[in-house]
Amino acid sequence: MKKIFSILLVAVLTISLSSCKGFLDKEPTDSVVAKNALATLEDAGVAVNGMYTLLKYYTVYGNYMIQMGDMRADLLVPSEGTYITYSYDYDPSQNSYFTLWRNYYSTITRANAIIQNIDQLEVPADKQATKNDYLGQAYAVRAFCYFDLARLYGRPYRFDNGASLGAVLITTPVSPSEARLPRSTVAETYTQIENDITTALGLLSKAKNTGHFNYWAAKFLEAKVALYKGEMEHAYTAAKEVINQSPYNLIPRANYLASWAEVGNDESIFEGLVNLQSAIDGDNGFGGSFYYSLWFGYTNTGASVVPTLSWRQLFALTPNDIRINWIAYDDPNSGEGKHTGEYWLKKFIGNTGFTAFLNNPRYMRLAEAYLIAAEAGMNTGKTDAAQMLLAVAQRADNTVTSIACTMENIEIQRKKELIGEGDRFFDLMRRNGTYVKNDPHNPFNTALTWSDDRVMLPISSDERIIYPELEQNPGYKK
Amino acid sequence: MKKVILFALACLFSTMVLAQNKVTGTVTDKDDGNPIPGANVLVKGTKVGTFTDSNGKYTLPNVPSNAVLVFSSIGYTTTEVAVNGRGVVNCQLSADANLLDETIVVAYGTAKKGSYSGSAAVVKSDAIKDVPVVSFEQALAGKAAGVQAMSYSGQPGSEVEISVRGYGSFNASNKPLYVIDGVPATSGDWSTGNISTSAMNYLNPGDIESITILKDAAAASLYGSRASNGVVLITTKKGKEGDLVSTFKASVGVSYFSYKKHMEMVSDAENEALQRMSFRNYAEANPSVWKSYGSVDAYVQNRIDKYYPAFDRDTYIYKDWEKAIFQKGISQNYEYSISGGNDKGKIYASVAYTDQRGVVKIDYLQRFTATVNGEVKLNDWFKLGGIMQYSWQYQDGHQDGWSSKDNPMFMWKAVFIDRWPYAYKATGELYEGTFSTRFNTINPVAQFKHQINDAKQNRTILKGWAEIAFTDFLKLKSTLSSDWLYVHDKFGWLYGHPNFYAYGTGYASDKHRNINKVVSSTTLNFDKMFDVHHVSAMIGWEAEREKFNGLRLGKTDFSYLGATESVMGTTFDEGYAWSHEEGLLSLFGSASYDFDSKYYITGTFRRDGSSRLAPKTRWGTFWSVSGTWRFSKEKFLDFGWLNDGKLRASYGTSGTLPTDLFGYMSVYDYWQYGDEGASYPGNIANTDLTWEKNKNYNIGVDGTLFDRYTFSVEYFNRKTTDLLLDASVASTTGFSSTLMNKGSMVNRGWEISANVGIIKDKDIELSVGANWSRVHNEVLKLSTDDEAINSGWFWWKKGYNFYQFYTREYLGVNKSNETINGVKPGYPMYAEGSFYQKGEIVDQDVTMRDGTIVKEGSPMPKDGYNYAPARRQNSSSMVIHGKRAMPKFFGGFNADFRWKNLSVSMAWTYKFGHYLCNSTQDEVANDGYRTFGQPIMKSQRNPWTTDNPNSDVPMRIYDNNQGGYYNSSRMLVRGDFARLKNLTISYHLPKSFVQRMSLRGARVYLSGANLMTISKCEIEPELQSDGYYNYGMPALRTVSFGVEVSF
Repeated sequence: MKKIFSILLVAVLTISLSSCKGFLDKEPTDSVVAKNALATLEDAGVAVNGMYTLLKYYTVYGNYMIQMGDMRADLLVPSEGTYITYSYDYDPSQNSYFTLWRNYYSTITRANAIIQNIDQLEVPADKQATKNDYLGQAYAVRAFCYFDLARLYGRPYRFDNGASLGAVLITTPVSPSEARLPRSTVAETYTQIENDITTALGLLSKAKNTGHFNYWAAKFLEAKVALYKGEMEHAYTAAKEVINQSPYNLIPRANYLASWAEVGNDESIFEGLVNLQSAIDGDNGFGGSFYYSLWFGYTNTGASVVPTLSWRQLFALTPNDIRINWIAYDDPNSGEGKHTGEYWLKKFIGNTGFTAFLNNPRYMRLAEAYLIAAEAGMNTGKTDAAQMLLAVAQRADNTVTSIACTMENIEIQRKKELIGEGDRFFDLMRRNGTYVKNDPHNPFNTALTWSDDRVMLPISSDERIIYPELEQNPGYKK
Repeated sequence: MKKVILFALACLFSTMVLAQNKVTGTVTDKDDGNPIPGANVLVKGTKVGTFTDSNGKYTLPNVPSNAVLVFSSIGYTTTEVAVNGRGVVNCQLSADANLLDETIVVAYGTAKKGSYSGSAAVVKSDAIKDVPVVSFEQALAGKAAGVQAMSYSGQPGSEVEISVRGYGSFNASNKPLYVIDGVPATSGDWSTGNISTSAMNYLNPGDIESITILKDAAAASLYGSRASNGVVLITTKKGKEGDLVSTFKASVGVSYFSYKKHMEMVSDAENEALQRMSFRNYAEANPSVWKSYGSVDAYVQNRIDKYYPAFDRDTYIYKDWEKAIFQKGISQNYEYSISGGNDKGKIYASVAYTDQRGVVKIDYLQRFTATVNGEVKLNDWFKLGGIMQYSWQYQDGHQDGWSSKDNPMFMWKAVFIDRWPYAYKATGELYEGTFSTRFNTINPVAQFKHQINDAKQNRTILKGWAEIAFTDFLKLKSTLSSDWLYVHDKFGWLYGHPNFYAYGTGYASDKHRNINKVVSSTTLNFDKMFDVHHVSAMIGWEAEREKFNGLRLGKTDFSYLGATESVMGTTFDEGYAWSHEEGLLSLFGSASYDFDSKYYITGTFRRDGSSRLAPKTRWGTFWSVSGTWRFSKEKFLDFGWLNDGKLRASYGTSGTLPTDLFGYMSVYDYWQYGDEGASYPGNIANTDLTWEKNKNYNIGVDGTLFDRYTFSVEYFNRKTTDLLLDASVASTTGFSSTLMNKGSMVNRGWEISANVGIIKDKDIELSVGANWSRVHNEVLKLSTDDEAINSGWFWWKKGYNFYQFYTREYLGVNKSNETINGVKPGYPMYAEGSFYQKGEIVDQDVTMRDGTIVKEGSPMPKDGYNYAPARRQNSSSMVIHGKRAMPKFFGGFNADFRWKNLSVSMAWTYKFGHYLCNSTQDEVANDGYRTFGQPIMKSQRNPWTTDNPNSDVPMRIYDNNQGGYYNSSRMLVRGDFARLKNLTISYHLPKSFVQRMSLRGARVYLSGANLMTISKCEIEPELQSDGYYNYGMPALRTVSFGVEVSF
């Protein structure tokens, strides 16, 4: 009896032991094993969307890039607190803005994964165009990232024809041991950008594709890159192609202010898609969104960034300019609550249905294509240059009937039109422009020229400990 | 088979043929003459035996007249008495003076303490049963050398952090493995964090028989890949042989704040004076701000009127905030248990109910537990048993531990002072708006009404086991266990909640988690004496599978304003489910040999395979060897005063698995872009990933001297290599870090515990004991020698402690009348903080820590920071200073006194040599730069002025942020404390009275927790290991009165 029982028990144990095959092979349900994640064209479409999620996040265009463009220059100023981007107080050990570099490389990694893997997908002929479009988007996103990296970490191209150090060129997925490549020059980075744009243009769809790169967005990028290199003829041609042939149109004056709430409006060529799930920060707009810092219209907000006095004064003689409505005064005597007495920027009013902190960051707008065409046209003696500038000025101010196409007027329109979109500092530096930072909020009488080392952001010193091949920019402690 | 038949025949004959004398008798305690129930009486050399009943009486039929009876009972010396033909054989058992011979529960079995070669601390039920706590974990502080138990919050039921011999992991767990009745159990906080809870709350402390904490490799490495941080073995009560005994216990207690010095604030009048000073200094420095008011005085008065308006008695009822938010929390506890058994089976069953109100009016915990533990002996070789444990817990309360309007601790200490006491309108209605002049603060009383924040936890554990004795020295035991844990959190801001509009007309969300762990284990045990050679061995296997599934959903904008459930929401906020599964397969064994109870040697091994690792790396082997020399048994050391003495040593390995279940795989993460799905590479695959390896050695001496002094001294060294580290990788990979096995860390130190039986008499006993532990922790290596990883307030770097603070260094107030490096007189100074390596040519004059100055252009004599005073700067001025959150030493102290039926016991815990980070100072000690009427800590009195130039408190100026405390060493406060964790006075009612009432026993007791604290700390000093304080609920003082009767 005992023996029989024992044999039975041993048999049961043996069977249960042998049934353990596969017991230790588990897979996650909230993520997908990489080899299964790009198995179909639909999967690739989802991965293509994945390239865009960081760009709209507060660590890139949802905040930091706007600071880099407008806070470093003369459009925005802290109303309280300190912003090291305002005072150029960044240094290699101050790492928060190095997130920009990291996020661009994360996005490049996502693009590289698509570029490397999408070829293996076999698709029917009627899907070939979609596949090409996906691949084109990957090349275009990569170009977009390298352009921003060159603008942030390299010296302006025209200062030394791209001889300074630019981005590290990574064009395939790399392991940690393969990743520690030295930096390329700005010129080499621009070459990579141009090649990627050329490849992308041959693949991309010309249809409107809100939140994604299409042919026109890539063409716009081509124009802007040419402008930064000083290739005015090239910039003019590309910008004109966007203006004349793309499905985008300037929004009429009457609808313009409200159009900022509209996702994929008529003049937005490329924007990031933000909603509660497709987040701009970790807390529905309260956790880092720049639109929170620009908060207007509520009491006791914690908002901390206002347009400069000099920017507001641009409207002193143009009361009919509809953009004057972007200035919102918070009257300290207006009832309950702490009212700031500040003039806030009320340009970004929130996507329809969301709070003012949730806006789609606009990366490329047709208005800027007009301004590129105006400037490039002016420099190459094109007869319609003034007409390009007038289009932007007149849309905002219908009392303007003519405008002289001068750099000064182009600059005024750029400042008025593009505030809060992160353009100003780069625009100044590419052409060695001048500016004054003397806002009464935070008098700081320093303006950089393109020969100043602080034009380039520092490489993180923490990063350099594990990646010593990554050379520091001049003027910073190693 | 032959053997079986023989055995059966023997059984038959023994009952039929050998009919002889019936023997009866009583077994009593030699010291007090009380009967000993449940004592074992065995006819020597046979299997015939019985147990005494509740009156210590036994009856044995058929005892040969020349037999010898063996009497034994736990805690008594085994005694043999010859029958010599008598019909009545009484026996007096003397208490076993040698505590080292007690049996303790250890990994996969039990051991005699005297021969055990591992390091294990035992906490008996007596030490925890009367302490008014929800979970046994809260009662462990100071009870065992080398073990720290730290509550995350004083909210009822909150999680307790247990650390055994320091900290061995960076990015993996530092928590011990919990094993309940031999089976690894789910532990930790599985709620989503709005209320802290512990899965261990499911155990009613009254159902615990003993707790063993395994500390070294010899003790713990049988648990292999999860044993590095120690193992907490919990043994629950089983039935005792003897009559069925029922015990009923009831207690009622009251709780309130324990530590008076916690965040003491200045008075209202003093506060206003200090705030005036802030505005005045501001106005004097900035004439433009007061010009429109005409004078500085008028400006200051205007600000005071705005931010400090006089109380409006026409509109509001004056209400003391402390009374409005807090209460004396009443707790009740009821337990009923029944226990009994005979030679055929044993049963223990209990039900218990706990109801605890917290100090914040909405804090509440309710728990019901039920347990049944039974076993039956089917025949001589086959035993079956089972354990069922069920618990249901409901917690409700505030969101603790953060600077938010949701946290009344924040509202009370950081936002309100008595000047704004309007919880109720003059009409008696609750004031439900926001206090707009007060930083938009909200009325906590209104918030309590409109907030849902609760957590429910259900847990059911079913265990069944079978044991076969093939022979008297070979046994097989197989256990199957299933553990279901279900946690449901609910959170809502209902309509009317005075918080911002973002949630429209209300918000409600539910979070569900289900964890099911199934464990099957089988062990084969061999144990045999060969003359003076004792050999025992065990081999076993274990399979463990854990399934998890979670569900979250939430909606906002209720269509019905009185709604409390998300079904009424119109706007989707979140809603998804996910699941995962993991497995662990193990093979393990041990072997011991001892010679004449004098020399012992033990070896253990375990081979674990885990689904958390790649196929090629998932199997690993852990082992230990240990030996004991019981020198007191040596002839040449046979001194009368040396009752017992042993020397033990062990060496072995153990591991820690990654926390991430799929960390080794390359995966794509999925989320959303716009309204569409988005995916992207989620990590860098690391198929070489493996567990952290611990190499431990331990040397200890234990002894008992003069029958009254017992001591234990141990030295341990625990080195962790292949640390699971989220190691930084080049940014160009697209990732900032990847989980790797990099680096090493050591924890080494001493543990000393001693106990003295000062008085040992029949009627009076007094003993005192103490334990002291010192753990030295040091990071030995990261990926590279220079790498430094910033982890919150800490800095992991080679050569430093795991809990090394990394902040700006505060240098005090500029007391001179000159501006120093941009710091004006009266302003706070911080170390400039630039770091220079040895030999580096410095680019400015550098002040070394010792005050010597290295001139610009000279080489740096050694690695160091520039301590020159400067204004607060960005993070480049962060320095590693000597301050750390880990105590230099810690331990406990206890005293037990008994006089006849009255006993008094107390337990203290202490910790010294560490710092706490009081992050609240940014609000309540901000040098006036932000002023929305915050309370001001008493330490901020008498700030610097030109008339008070020697003050250590900087000048107060509104809107002039000189850094305050933020992220500087100024917010680090010494955390030294000693605390009376528990004092229990217990009285057994006299036997005569008890018997008249037909009871077996009756006892009344008074027990208190956290009764007294000796500390200079400005905040509650008993915090979790990182020492970070951010408006958490401090420890509560609880006093409870209880009655226990058994019948």
